[in-house]
Amino acid sequence: MENDSPIRPSAREAAASLDDLAADRAAVADAVRVPRGLMAAFGGVAAYWVAGAASATPGVNYEPPTTGWLALVVALVIAHLVHREVGIRFRTMGAKAYGALAAIVLSCLALFSVSLGLVASGLTWAVVLTSLAAFALTTWLAGVAYRSALEQLRRA
Amino acid sequence: MPEARFDEVIHAPVRLRICGLLRRVDGMDFGVLRDTLSVTDATLSKHLKTLTDAGYVTLKKSASLARSDARRMTWVGLTADGRSVFDAHILALREIAGSVE
Repeated sequence: MENDSPIRPSAREAAASLDDLAADRAAVADAVRVPRGLMAAFGGVAAYWVAGAASATPGVNYEPPTTGWLALVVALVIAHLVHREVGIRFRTMGAKAYGALAAIVLSCLALFSVSLGLVASGLTWAVVLTSLAAFALTTWLAGVAYRSALEQLRRA
Repeated sequence: MPEARFDEVIHAPVRLRICGLLRRVDGMDFGVLRDTLSVTDATLSKHLKTLTDAGYVTLKKSASLARSDARRMTWVGLTADGRSVFDAHILALREIAGSVE
């Protein structure tokens, strides 16, 4: 039974308490498994957005596809599902995670541009390849970001 | 930078560990906390009530994916006051532990 009226600890007890806190954070970081299905869902959203280039008409009359907003909403829903599946809402994810998220945005933009170029060249079928690349890159980078957030929690 | 201040509410071992787990996250599920600390639901609830009454912790319920019934998951998070009191308490512990570090 725990004593609810704690007195000031000794130096050794205080050090042990601080060690326990580090051990708890490490235990959480070790116990959490990256939700691979939901990371792949992020990849699916990226692939869907890049594939939107196939229905665009590059040139003077180009109008950006509206799939971007839908993809953003779905990505936010997936992020919410990740929180609920794992049971942790991170306060900060660490520089590596933010780098991975920036890399997702930049690579998807690059792949979308390449896709528009392919469509303009009459190679619409090749958008399948850029979409697959977006899926693979985003799934991998989302996993990198999540593992980085867990490491950040361990080191805090 | 907060000043070192020993807080008797937080210092009880389970409560200190609860705050330690919550300090770097926005929220943690009740079940994750319980499993990490290896305590019963009743024990965790008792300590969360003490921390909530002190204004250090907030509890928020939301629907659970894992449950098909009406039960909900409970998110636990530190308040701004809880964070500053915990930080001051950790500084106090570090000062006390200084001689053995």
